[in-house]
Amino acid sequence: MDDKGRGLADTVWTRLDRKAGAIVELTIRQLRNRISTWVVLGVGVLLMVLLLSFYIDAVRESFEPIDNDGDSRDYDKDGYPMGQERKYGTSDLDGNQYPGSSFLSIEGFIDSNDNGRFVSGNFSWQGEALFEPSWIDENYSGFYEVWMPPVNWLEVEECPGDDESINNEQTWDFAWGSACLIGDSDDDGLNTYYVRGDWSGEGSATVLEERSLTWGHITDPIFIEPDPPGLYVDEDGIDCFNSEGERTVCPASDRLSGSHGFDDDGDCLFPNSESAEKDGEAQRDDSNQNGIVCDVLWTTDSDGNEVIGINADNNVDEDPNDEEYAGEIGHRTFIIGVGKIAFVLLLGLFLPLFLALGLVRDETENGTLHLLLSKPIHRGEFILYRLLGYLTVSGGYVIVLSLIVGIITATLGPGNQIFRFSDLPVWLGIGLATTFVLAAYGAIFNTMGLISPKYGVYGCIVFGVWEFAMGFFTILNPNWTVSSISVTHWALQMVDAIVLLAWPDTLQWAEMGSAYGINNALSTFWHPPVHDLGTQSGFVALLVSSTMLLAISSTMVFIGQSVFGKREIM
Amino acid sequence: MNKSETPAVLLDNTSKWYGQVIGLNDVSLAIDGGVTGILGPNGAGKSTLFKLLMGRIKPSQGSVRLFGINPWENTSPYRRVGYVSESEKMYEWMTAHDFVTTLARLHGMTREQASESSKHVLDFVGLSDVMHKELGKYSKGMRQRVKIAHALVHDPDLIILDEPLHGCDPIARTSIMSVIRELGNQGKTVLVSSHILEEIERITEQIVILHNGRLLAIGNLHAIRDLLDKHPHRIVINCEDPRSLASLFVSEDPVFGVSFPSPGRLEIKTNDLSAAHSLLPSLIVKSKQKVTSIENPDDNLDSLLGYLIGGAQ
Repeated sequence: MDDKGRGLADTVWTRLDRKAGAIVELTIRQLRNRISTWVVLGVGVLLMVLLLSFYIDAVRESFEPIDNDGDSRDYDKDGYPMGQERKYGTSDLDGNQYPGSSFLSIEGFIDSNDNGRFVSGNFSWQGEALFEPSWIDENYSGFYEVWMPPVNWLEVEECPGDDESINNEQTWDFAWGSACLIGDSDDDGLNTYYVRGDWSGEGSATVLEERSLTWGHITDPIFIEPDPPGLYVDEDGIDCFNSEGERTVCPASDRLSGSHGFDDDGDCLFPNSESAEKDGEAQRDDSNQNGIVCDVLWTTDSDGNEVIGINADNNVDEDPNDEEYAGEIGHRTFIIGVGKIAFVLLLGLFLPLFLALGLVRDETENGTLHLLLSKPIHRGEFILYRLLGYLTVSGGYVIVLSLIVGIITATLGPGNQIFRFSDLPVWLGIGLATTFVLAAYGAIFNTMGLISPKYGVYGCIVFGVWEFAMGFFTILNPNWTVSSISVTHWALQMVDAIVLLAWPDTLQWAEMGSAYGINNALSTFWHPPVHDLGTQSGFVALLVSSTMLLAISSTMVFIGQSVFGKREIM
Repeated sequence: MNKSETPAVLLDNTSKWYGQVIGLNDVSLAIDGGVTGILGPNGAGKSTLFKLLMGRIKPSQGSVRLFGINPWENTSPYRRVGYVSESEKMYEWMTAHDFVTTLARLHGMTREQASESSKHVLDFVGLSDVMHKELGKYSKGMRQRVKIAHALVHDPDLIILDEPLHGCDPIARTSIMSVIRELGNQGKTVLVSSHILEEIERITEQIVILHNGRLLAIGNLHAIRDLLDKHPHRIVINCEDPRSLASLFVSEDPVFGVSFPSPGRLEIKTNDLSAAHSLLPSLIVKSKQKVTSIENPDDNLDSLLGYLIGGAQ
């Protein structure tokens, strides 16, 4: 006890605490008493309500099955959905071709380098030849009426040049589906034509060098029941095989690499149906070139704990169940997008602009600064405590807001569980990252207000625009070095790191989204954190980015203190 | 009380310039104990002096010490200082109790200690019945007393009051003056600034006179006054019949002339103000006249300054 009756508890530290508490409390009460505070906080809540309404709308929509590969549609209006036409190898762009429609059953062909180049008979022909017909079917309609019309025998003109030029393999620049008259060069009473396209008739054909001709008979059409379009929605989901070769669910905790996928709907055919016909049976596709037809190649990173690439053969696993996939991907995209743009970029910038800029400056302008500075408080302490008061209001607001939005999305979000608990750490992380941003901007804006009470606000606006732009660049490409000269960059990296920690399979979802055509922006809004010191650890990245933000904040507080500490207050 | 050897306030050849303008010019001063009036017209350097003491500005030359410590570099002396600023600005949305409690906590008091102390000081300045009203609804005099209360809440050894009576009504003035006198009686060092001589006179005898940034006089007001009183002074009396009253005065020794500036007014010229004043009651009684007022137009700071400056030349 000293002569003023202070107890042992009255140490320097507790007195410091009390001063801090008093200024923090005063700052909170001052902010509470300003209308602008309530306006800016209210606008933040409104923004969240708006975004949530979009979310609810989107979540409900994405639960309806979506035809990701679009094969339930019937583009040529022949009554058969694209998926069914694909299976039968008919074109979905030509109304004359459909499952069961007549087609050219090939009986022979002369390739550009075959030796025997002469054939005669009554056939349907396709290709290019000198044709001496005894009979022509002038009503022949061909197979590809829309794209490649049959030869029009009604408008045949004399060929330019003479026999010489034909034998010299002169090329006639004919359009597909036309013919020209050469004449009866062998005097057998039959005219010879040069023909290019589809035609039908009896006669003999001579194929010139480097030209080809196919011939055969047209089959009779048969009736095949058109499938309902709904059969081609969600018809081929994502399949994975475990080590025993059993089919399992992919986005589970087990990460996979190697060959997976199963062509449930059997449409994994080689895209060129003509060559499929050639060998008598359908060719299977191996466009990922791993030597296995109709599979999906999953690639993991060097640790084997993160899927970094999914490469599917055509039409394998191409139309997964949307409630299962699009719902989850959309949900994560929403949370990450809202966290980055609405919280870090918008709230992170505007709250400090309205609440922190005048923390000390307003006190000078209102003439109440002397009340505080005539107390035994160092000016530096004063700045720090004011910032703490501001941070209590704005940080508390942001964390509460993020948790409320989090609870709503976790309740409404997709999945079997009633409440998505794994979302809450992400929302908490978003709240935390935004609080770090608020601290950094608070310190920066406050310091700018101190350096130039008059023009500081303009500096803040210019700075804010820079930050906003760098934020967007960071979202799109976090590797771009220039954007790291900004506060938002590090805060967004913090969000990325937290997402990696809380949802380690986000990259896998993003990969699945882009590999299987699930409409999403997850790979736009989320990239693995960049500043992980090469460890690929979310924890290290979180530590690096939060340390950066703390360093920026404390440097700015320090600059503010030295400016304010040396200032004469009139 | 933890009294140190060093005086509460010490200025050593202190000067402060604002660019080309001189705020304070080579002032040396030591004040410790009792109430001291800082007198000077507007622009004399009173505010500059107080800002230097409160560590808000840095002296251009010389040094300033509060309890031996440089206030520009160290805020620790403010644990023992209470400052009543000239500024009217307060947190209008707070109640007086709230306001004083909040600022008391900046001295490191707990919430309870602060609340208790602020009740005590608000009672001391006579505001205990209205202390839960918002400051925005307070009159000028009440606000002035709240400011004094906040400066006293931590029981300081040095209290600095910048124009505490400015703009107050007579009742508030009287109560503030008695508060200041009481503080002086408690043995605290009190600095009160004013540009009105009469106000300071009613509070203290110990004065410092500043003029154009210079320290013009320091010491006992009465000693200074006695010098001043020997100089020609005017006394203006408003009465029914100035002429008959004048006839009584002209024969008296301290009076060397009378005049009638306007109907119903008598102006007496004297070389000895206190002697003339001691004559007044008996002569008025003798004249049986009804006197409505007695004024001393030359008894103000301007005349005092005029005399001091004239004497210096």
